[in-house]
Amino acid sequence: MNTSHRVLWSIFRVLLVTVALLVTVPVEARAYADPGTGAFLYQAAYAAFLGGTFYIRRFLDRLFVRRK
Amino acid sequence: MSVTSEANAGHSSFRDPAGFVLHHQGRVLRSVNRDFAAAFEEFCGSRTAREAVEAGELVRTEKIAHRYLPEVDARDGVLFEHERIPFVSYPYEWPAAMLAKAGRLTLALAEGAIEEGFGLKDATPYNVLFRGSQAVFVDVLSFEKRDPLDAMWMAYGQFVRTFLLPLAAERTLGTPACQTLAAHRDGLEPEQMYRWLGAWRRWTPPLLGLVTIPKWLGSRSEGQVAAAIRRERDPAKARFVLRGLLRSCGKQLEKLAPRREAESAWSGYLDRKSLYTAEQLRQKERFVREALHVAGPNGSRPCTTLDVGANEGHFSFLAARTGVSVVAIDSDPAVVGSMYRRAAAESLDVLPLVVDLARPTPAAGWRNGECASFLDRARGRFDLVLMLAVIHHLLVTERIPLEEVLSLVSELSRDYVVIEYVAPEDPMFQKIARGRERLYVELTRVQFEAAAERRFEIVRREEIAGMHRCLYLLRRR
Repeated sequence: MNTSHRVLWSIFRVLLVTVALLVTVPVEARAYADPGTGAFLYQAAYAAFLGGTFYIRRFLDRLFVRRK
Repeated sequence: MSVTSEANAGHSSFRDPAGFVLHHQGRVLRSVNRDFAAAFEEFCGSRTAREAVEAGELVRTEKIAHRYLPEVDARDGVLFEHERIPFVSYPYEWPAAMLAKAGRLTLALAEGAIEEGFGLKDATPYNVLFRGSQAVFVDVLSFEKRDPLDAMWMAYGQFVRTFLLPLAAERTLGTPACQTLAAHRDGLEPEQMYRWLGAWRRWTPPLLGLVTIPKWLGSRSEGQVAAAIRRERDPAKARFVLRGLLRSCGKQLEKLAPRREAESAWSGYLDRKSLYTAEQLRQKERFVREALHVAGPNGSRPCTTLDVGANEGHFSFLAARTGVSVVAIDSDPAVVGSMYRRAAAESLDVLPLVVDLARPTPAAGWRNGECASFLDRARGRFDLVLMLAVIHHLLVTERIPLEEVLSLVSELSRDYVVIEYVAPEDPMFQKIARGRERLYVELTRVQFEAAAERRFEIVRREEIAGMHRCLYLLRRR
C-alpha cells in the first residue's frame, strides 16, 4: 500500500467508525459536554470496529490453518 | 489523602486510592492498600514486569517488612521499596523525542500486561522518569487486575491528551510539546486542539480521529458513556480489541513523533557557529577533563554534574564518557532533542532537559506540591556545575547581576564549579549587548574574581589563548 492509499484507507476507516457510532448512539445537543466524552465514544466505536474484524481474522486464521 | 497531613508522604501520588508513595531518608517507599497488595505483588512477579525490570524499563520494586521501618506511617498498607531514580524530571522539561519514548514504553508495557491479566489504569507521561537517557516506568501501581471481558482502555483519552495531542501540536503548529505541557499540565482536550487547527488540518489523519470526530461527538452527545462501555463475551476477543486499540495508539504515536529534531538558531552551534578554533576547543576540553578528575568520584557515589546551557551536549558527553552522571539543561527544545537522541543512541548517562536557568521550571500541580520546581530538585545535588559560555547570556540577555548568578550556582553545586568568564570585549558578548556595552564597563576579570571569591576558592584559572575568555575552576567555601 503506498502513502496515498494508506491516507485514504485511514480516512475511510475513521468515517466508517463514525457512521457506526452515529447509527448506534442516540445524539442529543447539549450546552455542556464533559471533556473526554468524545474521545471515549470514539474509542468505543473503534473497539466495535475491531470487534468485527476479530471474527474475520479468526475465520481467515482457521481457513489458513486448514489449508496448511 | 490530604497532601499536608503527612510530612513524609510523596506529594505526587495522592490521587490513587490503591496506595501512595513516601520518601523516607532518601528511600522511595510505596504503601499499597491491603485490598490491592496481592495483585500488585502478582504484577511485580509477572513475566512482563520482570523482563522490563531486567531491561531497566520498569522501576525495581521489593516488598519490605514494616517492622524494619516502624517510624514510617504506611496507614495500614503493605510497604514496598522502589529503586531511586537519580534525578526526577517532568514531561514539560522533555523534548518531543523523550515524550514519544515515554509513550512507546507506556504502550509496550500495557500490551505486555494484557496477556498476563493486567491492565494499565492511567496513561500519563508522569508515570515515566528518565534514568540518564533511558525511560523508566515508575508508577507500578498503575497496573491493576483487569476484567477479562473488558474491551475498553479507560486510559485511552488520557493517552491522547497527554502524549498524542501535545506531539500533534508540535508537529502541526510548531509549538514545542514541553511548552504545551507546561501550560496544560494534563494535556490538551480535542476541543482545544480543534480551535487551533485550520479547516484543512482538521480533516487529515491522524487529527481527524484524534481531534475532529471526538470534538464533534463530545459536543453532540451526553449520557451515552456508560452505554458505550464494551464488554465482550469472549476473553480472547476482548484481548484482541484491546491490543488493537493499543497498537492503533502506537501507530498514531509514530506518525506524530518527531523524525528528527527541528533545527534552531542553536543547532550545530559548536560545530559551525561558534568562535572557537579547534585548538581553543581542545584547550577547553582539557580544562573540563581536569576539573572532572578533581571533582570526583566521591567515595562509592559517582560524580554528578549539571551542565548549564549545554547546547548539543559536547561537554555533557565528554563528562559522561568519564563515568560521570550528567543532567544537561538548555532552554532550546531543538538542541535538547538532538542531545537526547545522541545520548540514547550511545547509552550515555546524560539526562537532557529543557530548562532555562534564568526562569527555571516552577512547582506545579495541587497546592504546587505535586511536581517540585527545578531548583528544589537541583539544589545541592551536583558535585560539579559546568557554566561554559553561558554567563554572558545571563548577565546581558537576562540582565541578572553577577552576584545573583554566583549565588545561585553556589546553591546548585555541592563542591565545584567550572565557569567560563566572557569579557565585555568578546565578540559574542558585544553581539548580544547590542550597543549596551556601557552597562558592563565595571565588569572586568578583577571584579569577577572578587565576586567569585566571596563564595568560592579559585582552584585554577586558565585564559583561553587568543580569546577574551578565561576558564575558572572554583570550589565552594
